[in-house]
Amino acid sequence: MATTQLAAPTRRRFLNFRTWVLSLLIVVGIGVAAAVYTMINGLSVTNLSDRVPWGLWITHDLSAIGLGAGAFTFSAIVYLFRIKRFEPIARAAVFIGFLGYTSAMLVLAMDIGRPDRFWHPLIYWNVHSVLWEITWCVILYATVLTVEFLPILFEAKYFDRWPFLRTFGHMLHKLTPVMAFFGLALSLLHQSSLGASYGVLSGREIWFKPSLPVMFIMSAVAGGMALTLLATMVAGRVTHQRLIPGTLKREIARLVGFALLAYLYLKLWDWAATNYYSHAPGTASAVERLQLTTPYSQTFWLLEILLGLVIPAIIMLYPTLRRNDRALLIGLTLIVLGLVVNRWNVTLSGLVAPPQWSPGVLGNTIAAAYTPSLVEIALSAGVLAYALLGFTLGMRYLPVYPDAKPE
Amino acid sequence: MADKNPTDQPDKKVIITRRQALKVMGATGCAVIATQLFNSGPFSVDAIEGLERVTEADSRYEWHMVIDLNKCVGCQYCIWACQATNNVPEDDMRWNIGFPEKTENGTDFYMTRPCLHCEDAPCVKVCPVGATWVREDGIVTMDYDRCIGCRYCEVACPYDVRRFNWKTPTGKNEYVPTWGVPEVERRSRGVVEKCTFCVQRIDRGLSQGLMPGVDPQATPACVNICPVGARQFGNVNDPTSPVAIYLDEHDTFRLREDLGTEPKVHYVRPDVNGQEA
Repeated sequence: MATTQLAAPTRRRFLNFRTWVLSLLIVVGIGVAAAVYTMINGLSVTNLSDRVPWGLWITHDLSAIGLGAGAFTFSAIVYLFRIKRFEPIARAAVFIGFLGYTSAMLVLAMDIGRPDRFWHPLIYWNVHSVLWEITWCVILYATVLTVEFLPILFEAKYFDRWPFLRTFGHMLHKLTPVMAFFGLALSLLHQSSLGASYGVLSGREIWFKPSLPVMFIMSAVAGGMALTLLATMVAGRVTHQRLIPGTLKREIARLVGFALLAYLYLKLWDWAATNYYSHAPGTASAVERLQLTTPYSQTFWLLEILLGLVIPAIIMLYPTLRRNDRALLIGLTLIVLGLVVNRWNVTLSGLVAPPQWSPGVLGNTIAAAYTPSLVEIALSAGVLAYALLGFTLGMRYLPVYPDAKPE
Repeated sequence: MADKNPTDQPDKKVIITRRQALKVMGATGCAVIATQLFNSGPFSVDAIEGLERVTEADSRYEWHMVIDLNKCVGCQYCIWACQATNNVPEDDMRWNIGFPEKTENGTDFYMTRPCLHCEDAPCVKVCPVGATWVREDGIVTMDYDRCIGCRYCEVACPYDVRRFNWKTPTGKNEYVPTWGVPEVERRSRGVVEKCTFCVQRIDRGLSQGLMPGVDPQATPACVNICPVGARQFGNVNDPTSPVAIYLDEHDTFRLREDLGTEPKVHYVRPDVNGQEA
């Protein structure tokens, strides 16, 4: 191995594998404690209210699913459109998607008032509900991800003792193109529907617009690919491996750049059409109330647009910057954080400035407010640590990157 | 290791191996899950029977309410009677809310708001399990046993009508018995609830030959208690019902008609005798 000439930087020593796993386990433990506490005391342990019934956990949910979109994107590229040069990253994308969707389901299980009734949407159908469709799609797609992930899992050394599992894994692997097809269909449905769950609410003026579902899927495609590449680059740096070829890395970055531009185009027109060129009284009043009580303008323009879209788009599309690993890492991180900020902004904006319904002039002026409680933060941190732990262990024990080469 | 060479530690007898323990735990877990699935889960009798909803209401009736803001004196009796009758101990869980208001012309009035029982209710459309629906007689009702507590209906409702049980309601209901006696069970933690137009009174009253809106036993508590008769209730399909007559004789409006929700609660302007006339 050529590791000898690579002087292992001493500052990495403090974060060796064992310490890292141990600290993640501690955070997972805190998350479990928060979950138990919530189970015992109910959702009154959150800072949610009847005016702001959705908050941090829904944001976590939407972000995890959005950032898990790399799985369907790369699966479709590799197994459906047969663009083989993307194959080195396909497994990692599936793996990260699996972690993202399981994270989302963990958080959601805590966020609903009656987790023991999680199966109700499967039995009691309301086909008019976007959320019903989302529930079905997410459950089916989680199954698809599991089918795609199991062959990777069964290749781990541990499963040497059960050869039939490996044979089963190979059988499942043959289904990959079919799974990629269903994955694409299901993801196009629910990634958009998550935006639609806000966009269809005619009573909430800030949300009610047809652009939300489209913006959700576009940001998910860009963000999902970005997270997959970001995780790959970070993992490669930490383990001193070249996990995917450099040309592929730059090609994905360019692809992400174009996805960002498309999303940015739609997002700016969405703003211009609903806020600048038009004046719908309900929307205008809601935006005004929102801006009076929250830093929405700043978080929208500075965090979402400038830091989350414009700057990363420049990095991804400008060849000199794209070739610079540090710039690329910063750009990808900004995209991922930008998506999280976006999901938070979308969720909270419609709730903090609710529709005015009183015929008087006093009753509606009060905007709602929300700051997550410690329990909410602890649970979210625990689930995040679960995802990081899963990825770390996967990197060590699973053949996530079939083409990995020592640096 | 241990079961291959048990004589290593003579004082510590290996009774079950880790593998056996895991097997037993796994089997127990599966059994518990299977029992759950068949007792209260998707394979239970309730779940399968629940697929068909019993239509309990009669489509000959359509229940509407009129709230005369011009008559209302802001005594809050309707709010308290509602809390007592519908077993709502917490003030922030009120189904029927009220607050002092002012018109654009500066006229003070008291605004009260039950559930508006929209004909095209946004909350009904979004429920992923169909736990809330518009009955044949127009009442928007809830199935607390089906609700999963996702709170999408709360998010969808433009009128801030729905309330979620963030904790088990255990407090003492201070409005009992002064303002009424509870007629329904308290809802469990984790489900959404809302004003039902006192549906229990309507259903029982009709079965006893009483007419809601006319006979107090069959009329919502908030309507009965009002000392100034600011609330009228009844069947709008019957032109002789008190609510139909009231609607006929007064100019009324509904909240946010532009949203197209078609509410069944109508209001009389607070300043009909004021500057605007």
